[in-house]
Amino acid sequence: MQKAYKLSILYYLLFSLLLITSAVMLFEHKIGFSVNQVLEYYIGSEEKFIPAKSAKGILKLVLPHIFVFGLFIMVLLHFLVFTRLRYKKSTLTLIYLTFITALLEIFTPFMIISGFSFFAYIKLFSFFAFLSLILYIFWLLFRSIVYE
Amino acid sequence: MRFTLINNLQKDSTMSLILKGLLVFMLLFLLSDILVMKSSFGISAQTINTTLFGDEEAYIDPISESSFLEFWHTQIFFIMMTLLTLSAIFIRVAKRSRTLFTNIVMTSAIISLVSLPLGFYMSKFFIDIYIWTYFIWHTIALYMIFYSFWKLNAKSV
Repeated sequence: MQKAYKLSILYYLLFSLLLITSAVMLFEHKIGFSVNQVLEYYIGSEEKFIPAKSAKGILKLVLPHIFVFGLFIMVLLHFLVFTRLRYKKSTLTLIYLTFITALLEIFTPFMIISGFSFFAYIKLFSFFAFLSLILYIFWLLFRSIVYE
Repeated sequence: MRFTLINNLQKDSTMSLILKGLLVFMLLFLLSDILVMKSSFGISAQTINTTLFGDEEAYIDPISESSFLEFWHTQIFFIMMTLLTLSAIFIRVAKRSRTLFTNIVMTSAIISLVSLPLGFYMSKFFIDIYIWTYFIWHTIALYMIFYSFWKLNAKSV
């Protein structure tokens, strides 16, 4: 890989870190990191005057995220193709896991408003699992760029 | 990005045309971004301060934290995608100055995005840094677009 392209990818990783930071701040501010807060945000709470979310409202919020998650993951993962990790079996597992956790993160709210409260746990788990996988991919790319 | 693997972009008229089309859209995006920011968020210290913190005399409410975070989040995504694509084209066509300009455009864009929440949560001082770096990365990005366009029209890349 050319040195200039490595530089470009390193900057992309920095931007992605900023994107993740803003996502965590937004999640913390709007929803919260406890199961009760997740349930209150989607199902609503009469005591706290929080209105319940409708499927239409969630779909409106989810719509740009479906495209953006797909694009963001594709761009990030395709950089792995330029490294030695391309031929490793674990890379395939990583790709599957990243896309699956992203899908869960996006679509669990529909299950929560359908009455399956258990999915609040999955929503939180998939959010942190997705972020952890992204950070792990950052580390793999960073190591490949700097040391290979 | 397939175009990063083509030996001579100028000879590949199809890929060259596609990239020129993309550059035109990037140019329109950057210019529109300035116009939209001017009319909505502000591009001077006074207008940005009014948007972020409100103005009692003019009866303007400050932006809510939730709206601010959503705005910041969206800006990061669009800027990172635009600059990654632009730098990939620029690196492919420019020879000597590519590292320098990539460094300047990326660094100034990152500083601009970091100084925005710092200005909102910590000190108004960072708003000035945001404005300066915002215009620096826009100017450099516009130069990179025009240079890439010119190079794609040149005899050999």
